[in-house]
Amino acid sequence: MKEPVLQVNNLHYTYNGKDMALDGVHLTIQEKERIAVIGSNGAGKSTFFLNINGVLTPTEGEIFYRGTKITRKSLKQLRKNIGIVFQDADNQIIASTVMAEVSFGPMNLKLPREEVKDRVNMSLDYMNLSALRDRPPHYLSGGEKKRVSIADIIAMKSEIIIFDEPTASLDPVNAAMLEEVLDKLSSEGKTLLISTHDVDFAYRWADRILVFGDGQIIADGTPLSVFQDEAVLNRANLKRPMMLDVYTELIKSGLLPDSGNYPRDMSSFRKCLKNNISR
Amino acid sequence: MSLQKTSKHTHTSGHSHTAVHRHNTGGSAIDFYACNSRIRHWNPGFKAGFAMLLVLFCIVADNPYISGILIAASAFFTVVLGGLPLRKYLSVLSIPITFILLGSLAIAVDFSSKPVGDYNLYLHWFYLCITRTGIQKTLFLILKVFGAVSCMLMMTLSTPSHELFSVLGKIHCPQLFVELMYMIYRYIFILLDVQHSMHIAAESRLGFCDFRTSCNSFGKIACNLFLVALKKAHTYYDAMEARCYDGTFAFLEEEKPLKPVQLLTAVLFFLFLMVIWLLTK
Repeated sequence: MKEPVLQVNNLHYTYNGKDMALDGVHLTIQEKERIAVIGSNGAGKSTFFLNINGVLTPTEGEIFYRGTKITRKSLKQLRKNIGIVFQDADNQIIASTVMAEVSFGPMNLKLPREEVKDRVNMSLDYMNLSALRDRPPHYLSGGEKKRVSIADIIAMKSEIIIFDEPTASLDPVNAAMLEEVLDKLSSEGKTLLISTHDVDFAYRWADRILVFGDGQIIADGTPLSVFQDEAVLNRANLKRPMMLDVYTELIKSGLLPDSGNYPRDMSSFRKCLKNNISR
Repeated sequence: MSLQKTSKHTHTSGHSHTAVHRHNTGGSAIDFYACNSRIRHWNPGFKAGFAMLLVLFCIVADNPYISGILIAASAFFTVVLGGLPLRKYLSVLSIPITFILLGSLAIAVDFSSKPVGDYNLYLHWFYLCITRTGIQKTLFLILKVFGAVSCMLMMTLSTPSHELFSVLGKIHCPQLFVELMYMIYRYIFILLDVQHSMHIAAESRLGFCDFRTSCNSFGKIACNLFLVALKKAHTYYDAMEARCYDGTFAFLEEEKPLKPVQLLTAVLFFLFLMVIWLLTK
């Protein structure tokens, strides 16, 4: 079996010493996984992300990155290899021009100047921001700021990229752009973790779903297995994805045969309909 | 975003145009102009150094001709080279002009129990006196201050603040100050945004319907803003740590080389000023 990229054992975290924000999280993440993290507000998703990034120090439990245990000394290793794109770009952007902002991470990695320059140019290109490189961030639109905050992390070349509710407050065009970027990143071999409230997106995009509830992972599996589990859905107050609902109803009413091959996006659904109708 | 709004201007000439325009809230307007200056790509150290030299010279020379030339030169620099519309340049200038005029009024006018001035105004208990030399002195003073202020504006309207900070860093200003400046500068805009949305939220609930309520709402917004600032500072720090921040700020900066032509022009202009000064001394 392959060595996991990240392994989390019995992670506990508390903000005030009393209430557990994370209450025993066990998790193993393999390379190149596309993971959607869902769960209601305050379920511990963001706290979990800050813990595995090393910003928050776990009250209890251990984190292994590629087999080595993370201690205070190797914390930087963790931050270097795990990048977070924060929910609110305004809380992340600190520099006064787009270029300076994207260079912040690489500069902190103490890379040589030429390397920093290359990485900045590469990630500005990647996020289609080259024309805005000299703009101050406060004169950018919300979607542009989001793109800058993603370019920030791309420039660090982290192995795992975490997106904290990336689709919140994005318009449909920017949300579509984001999905493209996610696909591109994943095709380049990055491991992606995305927290979201959009179950349709999670069902369509992810190949693994983690459901958080009360500081614990209450379900962990393929999208289909998670969304077919009524108990989990009830416990986490989740809706079923529209696509799954429609497909199940079609099978129930006998319009489609139960092939066990559930379509996850519109194009495969269309293909599935066409195959069955032509027959 | 709050600073940005699409506004429709109607000029006195009658035509109107719609443009994406930042809300003119004092400092941020200057910042916006600086970012859009056509000479932004000039070396910031050169611009800052040149402007500071001219400010000093204007004050040391204390010569109305020099002041006049500097006022014209900075206007040329900002409007013609920098491409800032004259109307906007004047509106930026109008703030210091108001202060200069009000301040110099106090210098020109004297109080006295006897009519000792060339022009006197009897106000029952005392005289307001103005002398001819006093008027001349005040006019020269106004010119001098105005010249120095336009030189400063020449710098601020062509160089965005963060580039000035990096110049300060290069001349070995304490790093702590420079880093604070960077952060405060960035933070101002975030807080302005938050304040703006809070203000609107209060206004939509009739929070500013009369004077008493306005004061109340203002206080509550200020208090809330403080709490939000604390919270934001925290999340901000987390985000910085997540990107390996270890106590020192480092950004990649575009190299803006100084062109020999610019340096030569600056030297020639300065020599020209020296000659004028010596001739009119």
